[in-house]
Amino acid sequence: MSSAKTSAPSAAPSAAAGPDARPADGSAVTAAETGGANRLATRGLGLRYGDRTIVDGLDLELPGNAVTAIVGPNACGKSTLLRGLVRLLDPAAGTVTLDGADIHRMPARTLAKRMGLLPQQPVTPEAVTVEALVRLGRYPHQRMLSPWSKADQAAVEEALERTGTAELRDRQVDRLSGGQRQRVWIALALAQETDLLLLDEPTTFLDLRHQLDVLDLVADLHTEAGRTVVMVLHDLGQAARYADHLVVLKDGRLAAAGPPSEVLTAELVETVFQVPCRVVPDPETGTPLVVPRARVRGSRGAAGSDASTGADASDGSAGSGATASAAPAAL
Amino acid sequence: MTALTLPARALTRRRTRTALWSLVAAALLVVLTGVALGTGQVDIPVWDALRALVGQGEPGNVLVVQQFRAPRVVSALIAGAGLAMAGSMLQRLFRNPLAAPDTIGITGGASFGAVLMLAGGASQQLIPVAAVGGGLLAALLLGGFAWRSKMAVTRLVLVGLAVQQGLAAAVNLMIVRFPAELASSALQWTTGSLYGRNWTEVWIGGTAIALTAIAVLLCQRRVSVLDLGEDSAGGLGLNPARDRLWLLLLTITLASLAAALTGPVAFVALAVPHLVRLLAGPPTLGTLGLTALTGAVLLLSADLLVLHVIPVHGLPVGAVTATLGAPWLLVLMIRQGRLPQRSS
Repeated sequence: MSSAKTSAPSAAPSAAAGPDARPADGSAVTAAETGGANRLATRGLGLRYGDRTIVDGLDLELPGNAVTAIVGPNACGKSTLLRGLVRLLDPAAGTVTLDGADIHRMPARTLAKRMGLLPQQPVTPEAVTVEALVRLGRYPHQRMLSPWSKADQAAVEEALERTGTAELRDRQVDRLSGGQRQRVWIALALAQETDLLLLDEPTTFLDLRHQLDVLDLVADLHTEAGRTVVMVLHDLGQAARYADHLVVLKDGRLAAAGPPSEVLTAELVETVFQVPCRVVPDPETGTPLVVPRARVRGSRGAAGSDASTGADASDGSAGSGATASAAPAAL
Repeated sequence: MTALTLPARALTRRRTRTALWSLVAAALLVVLTGVALGTGQVDIPVWDALRALVGQGEPGNVLVVQQFRAPRVVSALIAGAGLAMAGSMLQRLFRNPLAAPDTIGITGGASFGAVLMLAGGASQQLIPVAAVGGGLLAALLLGGFAWRSKMAVTRLVLVGLAVQQGLAAAVNLMIVRFPAELASSALQWTTGSLYGRNWTEVWIGGTAIALTAIAVLLCQRRVSVLDLGEDSAGGLGLNPARDRLWLLLLTITLASLAAALTGPVAFVALAVPHLVRLLAGPPTLGTLGLTALTGAVLLLSADLLVLHVIPVHGLPVGAVTATLGAPWLLVLMIRQGRLPQRSS
């Protein structure tokens, strides 16, 4: 099911990003800002499937009140790490802490009130309506016999409003388009009313318009609703635009972490993704933009000239229609 | 805040539909109960029969209704409700529209346990316990054989039917060697029947089934969350593997207790959840109640057919439900085969 995964970073879709694209200036989140809540950290974290080690000896500090993007090549363990962070996987070694407390010592319900998850492939129950689905986000707040409360309904309404799915409430989720469905699933996580939101490749299988819609929504959730966001992304340009903090994984280990403007260098992309490239400022936002070197016939990865047209910018991002005018040729 | 006062239309519509069909099913249940209590070798008017049930009216009627007819009717209602609920739960927990206690071997296991207990000379009160033990044994067998295929949709049913047949063969083997006084109960444990129920059985089985059913109903939010897949359920604070196992054990207990009362009655548990889905939409707490009512009505109707319509004396109710059920299972399997397999 990972057919849509890209192996190369796509050129950033400057054409479709309107003025409402969030100006992620890449500035580091200051210590004072992160001093508050919602700081996820790992200490010597090891994650395994069976006897296959996916993540090994990972020390991470994710800033609170920020948007963090986890990036890396296929099978580098990004999604596994995310699963470890929300306790879907028990660590084989090390710990995961939330504001200093070991998440494996928290009651499941308590944790579910603090962290919401959008999995990569949630299962849509047959014929369920949008509202019925979003209501399930209230589960951690309900007791066995407690009736549906005003607070529950208010949280659902707010989640529907914020994701623009209120008018879809009576529709069946399995009949919605991919973009609408993704917004509904985000609404479910919002109804959970958690400070932290973890999203596993929220843009996979979406076309460019819907990718940007989802990412803009995520950005708004951070800036307007004060949510701390941790998401796995494929597209480096999008990660640089939308994240305050970047975590780059390679083979289950940390390759780099920090603000995109500091982390995303040509050397790093070349070592981690094996893609010779230039990193230029995104003409729209000024955030780093990875431009793969033009392919010179016969030789792979030959150094491009200034006349690089970006024609081979191998846009492989998930089903995106971003083929047109995505090249930063003007540079 | 105006949004709060807007009616949730689709949800309300579905709830209204569920409530309406529940009323219809409840009405049918009362009428059929009256008919079942009133008809037989001595016909009693429905109203008199219902009065006799609570000890009013002619002593002769009271005796016939209370001692002979009521235990059978109540058994049919309780077992039908229990089987249908168990079927609905199994279909959700396995995400498999073909799952039912009789397609995955549970009722066969329950009968096996019961017969083993009878052959060992144990008292009647222990039959439900033995049935639950047998049901769990069947589940273990099923798990052992089907686990490696990750409970794939048709494989589960193939293995389940094999378990059911194997245990049925064991039941037959033991019944052949039954002492004469037990041989009459053979029909119950091979095809499922309602002959000769008495109040002791009904009280024990009924109480246990009611308690289990309440536990199942109390867990419905959990089941809805599990419907979202393991990852989402985990993110919402469940331990999906553990919770699924618990719910499965509860469901197996429910189905086994029902089978302890009637034997391995086929079809009811498989068909009712599909019927309810057609009538009232996808499963919720409300539709589970409707499922129980419909199961009760269906089994009682089948028993009325057996007693008063089909001119074969002593036909077990399980024979009727199995005759209806076999083609239904075939239709479902063909439809399932045509659908593109959904990844879960």
